[in-house]
Amino acid sequence: MDRLKRAALMTRLLENLRDKRSWCGETHAQKAIFFAQDLMRVPLEFEFILYKHGPFSFDLRDELTSLRADGLIRLVPRWPYGPTIMPTELAKKLQNNYQRTLRLYEDKLAFLADKLGAKGVADLERLATALFVTVRQKVGESSEKRAAKLSEIKPHISYDQALEAIRKVDQMLDEVH
Amino acid sequence: MPKHTHEIRDPIHVFVRLDNPERDVLNSKPFQRLRHIHQLALAYLVYPGATHKRFEHSLGVMELASRVFDVITNPNNVSDEIRNRLEPLGKADSDALRYWRRVLRMAALCHDIGHLPFSHASEDLLPEGWDHEQVTRDIIASKEMRQIWENMTPPLRQEDIIKLAVGPKKAKDFQFSDWEAILSEIIVGDAFGVDRMDYLLRDSYHLGVAYGKFDHYRLIDTLQILPAPSPGEENQHAGEPTLGVDEGGIQSSEALIIARYFMYSQVYFHPVRRIYDIHLKDFLKDWLPGGLFPTDIGDFLLITDNEVTASLRQAAFDDGQPGHSHARRIVRREHFKRLYERNPNDVEINPEAGRAIFNALTQEFGAELFRHDRYAQKGGPPDFPVRMRDGRIVPSLAVSEVLNNVPVVSVDYVFAQREIFDQAEKWLKKNRNTIIKPQKEEDDNG
Repeated sequence: MDRLKRAALMTRLLENLRDKRSWCGETHAQKAIFFAQDLMRVPLEFEFILYKHGPFSFDLRDELTSLRADGLIRLVPRWPYGPTIMPTELAKKLQNNYQRTLRLYEDKLAFLADKLGAKGVADLERLATALFVTVRQKVGESSEKRAAKLSEIKPHISYDQALEAIRKVDQMLDEVH
Repeated sequence: MPKHTHEIRDPIHVFVRLDNPERDVLNSKPFQRLRHIHQLALAYLVYPGATHKRFEHSLGVMELASRVFDVITNPNNVSDEIRNRLEPLGKADSDALRYWRRVLRMAALCHDIGHLPFSHASEDLLPEGWDHEQVTRDIIASKEMRQIWENMTPPLRQEDIIKLAVGPKKAKDFQFSDWEAILSEIIVGDAFGVDRMDYLLRDSYHLGVAYGKFDHYRLIDTLQILPAPSPGEENQHAGEPTLGVDEGGIQSSEALIIARYFMYSQVYFHPVRRIYDIHLKDFLKDWLPGGLFPTDIGDFLLITDNEVTASLRQAAFDDGQPGHSHARRIVRREHFKRLYERNPNDVEINPEAGRAIFNALTQEFGAELFRHDRYAQKGGPPDFPVRMRDGRIVPSLAVSEVLNNVPVVSVDYVFAQREIFDQAEKWLKKNRNTIIKPQKEEDDNG
């Protein structure tokens, strides 16, 4: 996908998350964009691996830095919790140039903001890792097996928390498909 | 009595000390090759002092890596929360800790062992799916190096060395434990990677610029493994351990980040340096069989800056040689001149203004007369945990105005051949505003 078109989609998703009262730090952005790709099939084309707080993309981290360099987003620090990502007026101007693409994905981005906007980092880590295990790892369909895998990958997530996350992700998959 | 420790003089760290297996690595063919790979490619054409090599940088990274390791594993610097989370820290001075210290030093020593001639300048000239980190991995796993790892007591697992040497970004097929992630962060980390610390200090020293200097002694002394604070959530640690500093290290962290900013904006992204890299890449495309470096390790290790430089000089003065025109631009200093440079006004109109201008120029005058160079700083913001005096752990960006305001470096240059420069400049002045105006999607035919 063309870089600026992708920037229009990313900044719109960030705006939607903020509208739903998301803190919208880097981790929130990472997980929401992972959901956009792997759950909603929005072709943003970032490569994710299991790393910090679950699925993480170094390419996406680099691109967020590029968006800062281009003045499309800025970091707003808030004592004592660290920065939130805020799309700028320039991002709105950019989005204006990509109305057709935004219309194509608008519902998907709104769905994600609804589902993820109110979640904190710990919740997002559990859900995103559950989605990763479900769609990318050949663990099998059983919720229990996937939960066990999730808990194995992230030992600080208990089996019960993992199972709950897997069930929530399954529910989201049902809603989407 | 046989010597077990060997000292090497170093202008940055005074002495770098090696044990016997580390000296075996130093003596290996792949490592000795680094004596002939410039740290900063052709930067010596702009900064004549920039003739230092990957060899001494690799030694410096090893030295700093173990200094950081010793500080962050010192029991006085480890909280119970972290000790419980990271197994090797559970028992100070354990065999595990000693094992990982050796792995870390070897990984640091080898982290650049797969660099291509002229370092990053020729990075793209490997077959699809390859980069210098992949070559590094293959060299670490090669027979010659494997013998060194296997002969150590206890033997080092090559997989551990690879993971720490290239980090999770380039070892996507490996899963990293929290402990391994921390150790790789020591070498290649965004905030406090010693690779960066060493190259800033070393490049600064050799180039004769002061920008890259910062108080690395103080910074390293204040490093700690801390749980990452959870953004937006009071009193809740998301928990993943990461490298941070205690409050007293904030100023030296700021100095590191500012040093990076100045070195990037003044040295690494210097326009003449960038265009020389582009001419070099053009030359190599013509000079290399098939336009690509070999990936067979034996063949790869045969090519250094020396072979390329000799051919470059020959080609510059013989128009029958492959790559003659590109070589001439470098050797005779006939490089393309900067015609366009990114500026805030244009970025506001079109963040990809340079691309639009390059496309328009090549359409009007011809593709061979122009080069486009677009690159933005990699990595995230300088956000790391800080342990405050009252024990709270807060994000660095919440406590440092300086870190919040360091600009991101991004370049967008268009270069033109000297003969066409004046004409192109006039044409661009007349058409620039139209060229950079972004097209709305609805206007497309597609």
